[in-house]
Amino acid sequence: MIEARDISVSIGRRRIIGGVDFDVRPGELVAMLGPNGSGKTTFLKALSGELAYTGRITLNGYDLSAMKSWQAASHRAVLPQSTALSFPFTVREIVKLGLTGGRSGAVAGETEPLPERALARVDLEGFAGRFYQELSGGEQQRVQLARVLCQVWEPVLDAVPRFLFLDEPVSSLDIKHQLIIMNIARDFAARGGGVVAILHDLNLTAMFADRIFVMHNGRLAASGSPDQVLRDDLMSEVFECNLKVGVLPTKGAPFVLPQSAGLG
Amino acid sequence: MPVAVIAGANGARREAAPAGDRSLRARAAIGALAILLLATALFSLASGASDASAWAVVRGWLFASSSADPLSMRDSMIVYDIRLPRVILGVLVGAALAVSGAVLQGLFRNPLADPGLVGVSAGSSLGAVSVIVLGATVLSPLTAVFGTFALPFAAFVGGLVTTFVLYLISTRQGRTSVATMLLAGIALGALAMALTGILVFLADDRQLRDLTFWQLGSLAGATWQKIAMVSPIIIIALLATPFLARGLNALALGEAAASHLGIPIQRLKYVAIVAVSAAVGSSVAVSGGIGFVGIVVPHLLRLLIGPDNRYLLPASALLGACMLLLADAVSRTIVAPAELPIGIVTAIVGAPFFLWILLRRRGVLDL
Repeated sequence: MIEARDISVSIGRRRIIGGVDFDVRPGELVAMLGPNGSGKTTFLKALSGELAYTGRITLNGYDLSAMKSWQAASHRAVLPQSTALSFPFTVREIVKLGLTGGRSGAVAGETEPLPERALARVDLEGFAGRFYQELSGGEQQRVQLARVLCQVWEPVLDAVPRFLFLDEPVSSLDIKHQLIIMNIARDFAARGGGVVAILHDLNLTAMFADRIFVMHNGRLAASGSPDQVLRDDLMSEVFECNLKVGVLPTKGAPFVLPQSAGLG
Repeated sequence: MPVAVIAGANGARREAAPAGDRSLRARAAIGALAILLLATALFSLASGASDASAWAVVRGWLFASSSADPLSMRDSMIVYDIRLPRVILGVLVGAALAVSGAVLQGLFRNPLADPGLVGVSAGSSLGAVSVIVLGATVLSPLTAVFGTFALPFAAFVGGLVTTFVLYLISTRQGRTSVATMLLAGIALGALAMALTGILVFLADDRQLRDLTFWQLGSLAGATWQKIAMVSPIIIIALLATPFLARGLNALALGEAAASHLGIPIQRLKYVAIVAVSAAVGSSVAVSGGIGFVGIVVPHLLRLLIGPDNRYLLPASALLGACMLLLADAVSRTIVAPAELPIGIVTAIVGAPFFLWILLRRRGVLDL
């Protein structure tokens, strides 16, 4: 379980986010929504221990500010928005970096080594020998996800749930791979881990999220289940454009449709 | 490490590395480099301005047969007191410079970092020259406390201060700007050289003779005393670097990602900076400013075995030692019986190599 109470982050004299309360329970996929610059990434960085914050964050009951980086690394893995690599590593070498710290929880003597299995999960079989810098943006993003998966391969290790922090995990992916990656996240949660994902696609959010936190101007604008949060008025106000929320006839799940000004 | 086992057509089992795994190749390269270093060291021991035969001397030691022969005693002295210290010092300095380059490159996340280029060597020179010129007067407490270690210690402090300031200037929020790093290195190097110039201006004639070799770098003054002075520092610094390898690998993803992987970033940085300063400072203290070894050696090895620091660092030590012994052999023979300073040899080879890296990476590098 991750709990964050009254989190504020300032960079220099500018307050980026203020007074945010947040939590993720094991088994949950939590989505963070909000317009550009609303403070989503800043909040995730505070949650990862990357930025100084005021307030209190606990990771499975431990105070984050008192944890060493290797201790935090065994509780959660972080997928950054983008990664610029400084040396020509192969895809396998990058994915294996996921085994650097923390504990993967992989069972010794498994027939196929973990990097291979992680690459297969993100639909990159046969890419192990390629150079990372020669891949497309979407492929690079999936290699990074494979690396992150290696770090917390078992969603629950020694009865302790583990967490995935994903900062726009599908931003540069085609529709097929968006679904593959979201299903990996869904599966991670279904097996007892927790996932926090910053997303921009409201329909993917509606389809996959158990709960949604909506950020607006550095504050929490709303939180709750997709049914509670994905409403015409709230979405239109936060994103400052005319949005219509409908209900899928087959599954009863909500979907969001943007309206051009004339059709409003 | 998991290794795929492939059954050959004749039923023989052969180990093959899985795709993208260069560790087997890296291990083989390290083995080959060790043999190459041994051969280079024996060659250096056996060649020189005199016709002394190292083989005869070794035979003499082994069988103690003709020790009374004055000719073989002269040969024995040449090999034992002149060539052997020079070879050992070459190995230590070459390994120290090449490993320092590789560590700095990992730390700055940039293949163009080099102790000579970014002013660390100039800072070390300033420290060393301060002791030579001011050791009897202003800095006499230092020489009183540290004795013969005052010189390498001052060189170490000079390198440490330069590296630290360079890191503070060129790294903002975990991102190192290449342009800032190189330009700050030039400025820091120029400042250190200007201060060194003031000290040279103050120096007397005897001190000036001592100082001249710092300008260009040389292994010519190698003695057992110098080896005793710097080998503990260099060996400790080199032994510390394998513990940095995993952290430096993770650092290739950026500071934040490395930290998320569980790497203690601050400690890694401090240990790396202290190790590099100690290794470079000690090298500068005994051999002056020998440039480009730190950039050429790791770069060649990355092409051959990849950037994994667990293999790159030991391989750099071996190849750096080989390259410096070869450069020393060239500097001893090219204008024989006189000697060319070794720093000239490494610069003539290294500077065009640096330009080649720049041209090759021009599209990739955000300069």
